[in-house]
Amino acid sequence: MQISDFFRGSPDGIDVKGPGVLLSFDIGGLTINLTETIVISWGILLAVTLLLLWLTKDLKTNNISKRQVAAEWIVSTVYGLVDDTMGKHWHSFAPYIAALFTFSITGSLVSMLGLRSVTADFNAPLAWALVTFVLIHGTNIRTHGIGGYLKGYIDPVPVMLPINVLSEVSTPVSMSLCHFGNVVSGMVITSLLYFALSAVTKAVGVAFLTIGVPAVLSLYFDLFSGFMQAFVFIMLTMAYISNADGRNEA
Amino acid sequence: MNLNLDFLTIDVGTILFTLINTLLIFLAFKLILFKRVDAILAKRQQEVSSTYSKADDALAAANSDKEKYAQALAGAKEEAAELISRAEKKAQLEGDLIISEARTEAADVREKAAAATERESVQAKQALQGEITDLAMELAQKIMEKEIDKEDHDRLIEDFMQEIGTEGEQS
Repeated sequence: MQISDFFRGSPDGIDVKGPGVLLSFDIGGLTINLTETIVISWGILLAVTLLLLWLTKDLKTNNISKRQVAAEWIVSTVYGLVDDTMGKHWHSFAPYIAALFTFSITGSLVSMLGLRSVTADFNAPLAWALVTFVLIHGTNIRTHGIGGYLKGYIDPVPVMLPINVLSEVSTPVSMSLCHFGNVVSGMVITSLLYFALSAVTKAVGVAFLTIGVPAVLSLYFDLFSGFMQAFVFIMLTMAYISNADGRNEA
Repeated sequence: MNLNLDFLTIDVGTILFTLINTLLIFLAFKLILFKRVDAILAKRQQEVSSTYSKADDALAAANSDKEKYAQALAGAKEEAAELISRAEKKAQLEGDLIISEARTEAADVREKAAAATERESVQAKQALQGEITDLAMELAQKIMEKEIDKEDHDRLIEDFMQEIGTEGEQS
């Protein structure tokens, strides 16, 4: 490949693919694809569980270890965030927020281990957004009653009904696409960069750019972007649910 | 198997698995991290409040002890003062008694001495009288026994007088 190939378009092409399918089987007519996303999620699940077990090993009331300080800091920070954003009565919601944040950020950061980001598969943020969607409407019905909930769609005038429905449906779509888009665009840009750098290296013959430059960009696209998207996702989840909770309106 | 899903697919299987995995991670956070840390924080809170209440109790006990000791000390001071005053009174009484006894005794002694002197002087007087009588008798006898001239007479009287003088000096 010559450097001119980069401008002409590579004969191989830069192909951004979806997650690989490791195994595929049918259950009652539904095709289950055991994709990279699922398997990597299992790995994350295992690692997070082990980490949590290690963090909470022999907790004490005084003379505590640094590990316990970290564990208590995580818990109190998440509690503080949830209490501030959603109010005290959502205190018990904190573990879900912590889990969502952790799953999202580790799902993005596995790209640094050379694996495919879980969040670069649209289905993962979509699943979380669907959970948020269900929680939003569940909270709304619980606090306003089914009548009050349905009445909310023709508020302030019945003409608004289609717009209100669209607005409600767009919430999970925008949330999941925002998260997916950010991570996957980082992945695409990184792929393009590697392609370009390898083309330059081939033309010059010295691999000086492939060392260093990707690391700096990876710092932004993986670490910073991964953190930001996870944070945005949990903040949006808390804000939407809290907004649906009538107790916060007073 | 080198198969990939399309870049943007909605795959129900992946969504289901992601939901299950999310639920499991949620449970891991809830049952491991939050439950344990909550428990330890509650326990610490309890320990702190129990320590505070213990400290309050100890302070109250110390204060009541202090009051008790102050009272006891005041009582002891009073008692000591009373003891001292009682001892002083007693000493005063005893001293007075001793002095009065001494006075009585001294008076007795003086009286006895005076009586003894009196008696002795009476005795001496009586003895003198007796002797004078004896001497007079003797003189009379002597005069009666021999004839007495003028010279003898004078000498006799002078002897007699001398005898009386020595007798008087002796007694």
